[in-house]
Amino acid sequence: MSKTILEVKQLSKHFRRPRSLFSAFNRRSDTIPAVDNVSFYLRENETMGLVGESGCGKTTVARTVLRLTRPTSGSIIFDGRDITHLSDSELRPIRQDMQLIFQDLDASLNPKMCVQDILKEAVSVYENLSDAEAIVKSRMLLDQVNLKYSKLSSYPSELSGGEKRRVGIARALAVGAKMIVADEPTSALDVSIQAQVVNLLRDLQSQLGLSYLFISHDLQVVELMSHKVAVMYLGRIVEMGLTGRISGAARHPYTYILWSSLVEKQNREATQSGKIDRRAAWGVFDFERPSSGCRFAPRCPVYEQRGRPAACTDPENEPQLRDVGGGHQVACHFPLGS
Amino acid sequence: MMNAPLTMPLLKIDNLRTYFYARSKQSFVRAVDGVSLEVGQRETVGVVGESGSGKSIAAMSVMGLIGPGPGVIGGSIHFASSRVQKNLLEGLDSFVKIEQENGRVMAVSKDEPGWQKASERLMSGLRGREIAMIFQNPRASLNPYITVGEQITEAVRLHTAHKSNKEARERAIHWLERVKIDSPRLRFDSYPSAMSGGMCQRAMIAMALSSEPSLLIADEPTTGLDATIQSKIVDLMEELKSETGISTLLISHDISVISRLADRVAVMYGGAVVEYGPARRVLDIGATIKHPYTAALLASVPSEQKIRDKAHLQTIEGDVLDTINVPAGCRFYARCNQITPEIYEKCASLHPELVEVAPGHQMRCWRYAVKA
Repeated sequence: MSKTILEVKQLSKHFRRPRSLFSAFNRRSDTIPAVDNVSFYLRENETMGLVGESGCGKTTVARTVLRLTRPTSGSIIFDGRDITHLSDSELRPIRQDMQLIFQDLDASLNPKMCVQDILKEAVSVYENLSDAEAIVKSRMLLDQVNLKYSKLSSYPSELSGGEKRRVGIARALAVGAKMIVADEPTSALDVSIQAQVVNLLRDLQSQLGLSYLFISHDLQVVELMSHKVAVMYLGRIVEMGLTGRISGAARHPYTYILWSSLVEKQNREATQSGKIDRRAAWGVFDFERPSSGCRFAPRCPVYEQRGRPAACTDPENEPQLRDVGGGHQVACHFPLGS
Repeated sequence: MMNAPLTMPLLKIDNLRTYFYARSKQSFVRAVDGVSLEVGQRETVGVVGESGSGKSIAAMSVMGLIGPGPGVIGGSIHFASSRVQKNLLEGLDSFVKIEQENGRVMAVSKDEPGWQKASERLMSGLRGREIAMIFQNPRASLNPYITVGEQITEAVRLHTAHKSNKEARERAIHWLERVKIDSPRLRFDSYPSAMSGGMCQRAMIAMALSSEPSLLIADEPTTGLDATIQSKIVDLMEELKSETGISTLLISHDISVISRLADRVAVMYGGAVVEYGPARRVLDIGATIKHPYTAALLASVPSEQKIRDKAHLQTIEGDVLDTINVPAGCRFYARCNQITPEIYEKCASLHPELVEVAPGHQMRCWRYAVKA
């Protein structure tokens, strides 16, 4: 069994709402629990997918794991070392091993720097390289991400979406990262280009033995990329396990709905049975007022079917992740198929 | 609402060419280059293609939303509803003068104010009323300073017979209800910032439909929304389609959305339609008659089987077509993987025509042009 590279224990990140003159009249709470009590681990050469709707805290997990923001509580152990409370200067050497691929292509590349400069900056952060050495290294990086050398003199505005994404990946590889957190690396890309990026990330993983924390709301891409998947809902992990189990044998109603809401899947079911599973049609939810007890209860079809059991809304009894066999964990009082 | 004869297509785009003129390069950017499409009554036509293939520019040309800057729109767009019949590009050519030398464009001069005026005159009474559009980014297309209800009321008063404020308000609430927004009376007074992306898109759809247009143009209506919300927006559009029978031009790069909603599909590449036919045939991955580009596009979608096998996804090698220096031959030539020795020369030097390969199914490829 390979080594654990990242272990996250009971990580929480609460954001504080700025106090205003009218705060006293507002019944809203002062803190927003963006991430609440999240635990997971990532092994070397493994990909963990993190899925959920927008606003569920995926990106906050990514940023906190990399210590770009300070966690409120919990601990982060990277490569055998607790990095939860390290200072910025202590973190600096560790940053070499963990890198982020940013979600926004255009915002993460400086429009006034050509590809050569962007890569040169990245390769010379930790090493003192001459210009010639930096160019050699940049070219190696371009080889790794299948970009032509002629692109070195291009500016980001002259690159296509897929090329910009490759430059972002090359930059993450420049410092020799072991773990890469990829935040929505394929969103806003066309299917054909998305396929190129997915293939590239997987090739790099097998060549360099990288570990990925792969964040996306595109379930098909997550399924394709990941060895295991964690499903988040309102700041919590509600289900976690091997990819095949999560997509095929989900126990949490939310996971089930998430996967059955794939338009393509619905199309296929519609052609098979002549109608579409309307269980996916459900109400809107409110981040401002999380319900007491299980957070998913207000939208949960099982909660309705079972006649609104009291256990689901008991504030003392929020469902915790528990093992249902084979490393498959569910946080639900009434998991599906039981 | 629709008593024009059913045989007459509602929208008939014929050889549409939308070129932008790049002064620095002294050449045209051929964003849309010879697109012909028809949208029949009560029909949904889907347009798929990669970014930069000209899908959105084609839609904006229909809406008359192409700015007055240097550029040319050619061809014709015939719109024929029960109330209006006209060519939306009538007489716009006369405002543009192109100086050519040996087939090379030397200078383009354009009477921009005149062009703009003429374009506005052609579109007045049509845009919003007869042809409505929903955009990709719902949040950016709503005014953040005005409540959603008021914005819909404005559209109702502008485009329909409900002129009194109270009447228009009721109408707006009715439409908010139609697009299944929870507690529409409450949401009427919400600002766009207080609503989720999915709800904003619903409000946009309500606004577009509130004028009871004959044609709806939906430009990437589900892009950027969460999977759960995407499927609900698609459900809603499907329902509205069967209830109101509105004709739709649906633009999306999401093939699953197109295959769910569209009756006919046009696949665009490099500003031209390369395949056009019934949705079932065009998007059937197993079909034997298939344009190489459509085949490659369908193959790059992560399918169930590929996910199970953790297989490599098929990609389309090479870059999207350079629309400034358009090659003489087939536009897909550089990326095509189905060129055979017999047609090799034609592919490289001659642009194929759209030919009918089966009733109602057209293809722009030398492989099929040879057989036909």
